[in-house]
Amino acid sequence: MPENSAPTVERRSLRAKPFSKADRRFFKTTTIAANSSIVLVSLIFIFLMFRSWPAFESQGIAYIFGSTWDNSPDNFVLQIGPMLWGSILVSAVGVMLAVPMAISIAYFIVFMANKRLGKIATVMVDLLAALPSVVLGLWGLLVFSPVAAGWAEMLNEYLGFIPIFQNSSGNFLRSPFIASWVVAVMIVPIIASVTREIFSQLDRELINASLALGAGRWSTFRRVIMPTSSSGVVGGVLLGLGRALGETVAIFFVLNLVFDINLFNVLEDKGGSVASMILAKFGEAGQEEVAGLMAAGVVLFVVTLFVNMVASYIVSKAQPWRK
Amino acid sequence: MEKVNPMQADPSPVARPKKAEPWKQVSISAVASIVLASTLPIGIGLLSMVLGLRFEIALLTVFLPTQLLLGVLAGRKISGRRGQADAILQVFVVFFAMTVVVLLVSVVWSVIERGSAALSWQFITQNNVYISGSTSLEYGGLGHAIIGTLLVVALSTIVTVPLGIATAIYLTETRGRTRSTIRTLIQALSGLPSVVAGLFIYAMFIASGLTQYVGWAGSLALIPLMLPTVTRVAEESLLLVPQELRNGALALGSSAWRAFYLVTMPAAKSGLITAILLGIARIIGETAPLLITTFAANNTNYNLFSGSIATLPTYLYTYIASNFDTAVQRAWGAALVILILVAILFIAARLLTRPKAAKKAGK
Repeated sequence: MPENSAPTVERRSLRAKPFSKADRRFFKTTTIAANSSIVLVSLIFIFLMFRSWPAFESQGIAYIFGSTWDNSPDNFVLQIGPMLWGSILVSAVGVMLAVPMAISIAYFIVFMANKRLGKIATVMVDLLAALPSVVLGLWGLLVFSPVAAGWAEMLNEYLGFIPIFQNSSGNFLRSPFIASWVVAVMIVPIIASVTREIFSQLDRELINASLALGAGRWSTFRRVIMPTSSSGVVGGVLLGLGRALGETVAIFFVLNLVFDINLFNVLEDKGGSVASMILAKFGEAGQEEVAGLMAAGVVLFVVTLFVNMVASYIVSKAQPWRK
Repeated sequence: MEKVNPMQADPSPVARPKKAEPWKQVSISAVASIVLASTLPIGIGLLSMVLGLRFEIALLTVFLPTQLLLGVLAGRKISGRRGQADAILQVFVVFFAMTVVVLLVSVVWSVIERGSAALSWQFITQNNVYISGSTSLEYGGLGHAIIGTLLVVALSTIVTVPLGIATAIYLTETRGRTRSTIRTLIQALSGLPSVVAGLFIYAMFIASGLTQYVGWAGSLALIPLMLPTVTRVAEESLLLVPQELRNGALALGSSAWRAFYLVTMPAAKSGLITAILLGIARIIGETAPLLITTFAANNTNYNLFSGSIATLPTYLYTYIASNFDTAVQRAWGAALVILILVAILFIAARLLTRPKAAKKAGK
């Protein structure tokens, strides 16, 4: 033993432990409840994977890229390429339509409207978010489709020389264009509410300083609001994209599902959507086909979960006040 | 020694100049140009419609450009070159915001207008037995679907609410290590496609032969859809409780559980109830998962644990694409009933959160 061993103080651990029984139970219950969401997500993945494995095994990688769906027993081929591409197309156009509307209404609520008008507009956005997708599907099918088909016809008539707006069938109903509008109506409130929250939490002094320096609305928007809030807005847009990719019932009524890739002719009356395809095929599916639909569910689940994870990570980074 | 009488020192204080508050002055020409810039385009647009242009074309090719041009001119008159860009920004913001309002009003109005034609006492009380698409509206209704919806939603609420609120407590009141993971995961779950939730329950219970189409399977399928809403709103309301309240309770010697139960929870009570209501509003119209797990039925079924059960969304779904007028009217009627239920939940949530705001304003 060395002579100069001064009595060293052991380092104290600064972790407090719950000492009463009620506390321990309180913390344990909440921890279990919270972590059950991890269990839930993994259960969803495991069970869908388990049921869909036969389809993945028999179809291979062509399941995702091929474009045939044939459930007759002698020529059993299940491939979801057109549906997957259709989902992406509809969601992308829907997001393009929704973003200007959502950002405008958020800007209007936070920076232009007075308190009362802003409150009314907020309630309206919330109400729009609460509309069930089946109601929107009904509206889209019976009220909106005829109107939007008229718009599509006009687009085709005046801008038909652009390849995107070509239409060979002369039928303008049930096109990706209309489905995109319905999807846009669904995701406007999602993007708008995230954007509104980010806008309203911006440092007011920054904006006032910009205005005091003589900047107008536009330069304040371009130079102050956009740089400080852009990442959060991007997160909100991605959240909307995730929702659009998973939209089922509303699209089912307003889109013609065709197993033939429609690259970008948004006015053509053929399109695809993975989620709607699952719903459309599920009723009459035999056991093997159900495995194929489960596989589509796995693809959808993985894609949307990924998009949403990225989105919520970005949003939570952009909202440091939520710690 | 001079003594200055303060009263006499300045017998006539400098009068406040009349132009002391330049921002309060209203220039008549500016007001006139704003009024002109906001009314003239509407007039020109209407004129072009009278002259035979379609509404959409008149809106996009006549109204919007004129509005932009006049806005730019007015902006230029009032605040120079900077005013131009501001005017363009404002015109576009108002235009797009109005688009959203028009779309929303169109949805709500068409549901109310067409749905109210189908609504009657018998429509909301009778069930759908012996009813086909062509049966006249005087027979049958969606009473069975209302009961089914209430039962299915009640069961998922009973399971989800404790789970969701406990998760929110974990996120706000504890220092658990997985908090940020769970927050991200819950946020990501809120984008879970509803059809996947249905497929999950189908794969777990129905495909494995544990059960047939049955009400409780539908309730389970709704849980992953309801959980994120409840958790997030509850978390937000718990975050609004000032940290001083918690610290005060802990400093007075209460245990964490008591501090939560006696201080934090009462303070956040209205927010927690709002979380429940908004969660219910989120799932009350969900269709796809119920189609896959409960299927639809025509008869009234009070039992969640045997037999398929009808719900409002599945009722709406079965009538939506029919060729018969009466069937479509039934669909609109069901849409109106769903909308009314959502509106009731929403108004209740608003009323619950209001007193707090009123108190704040009063202080």
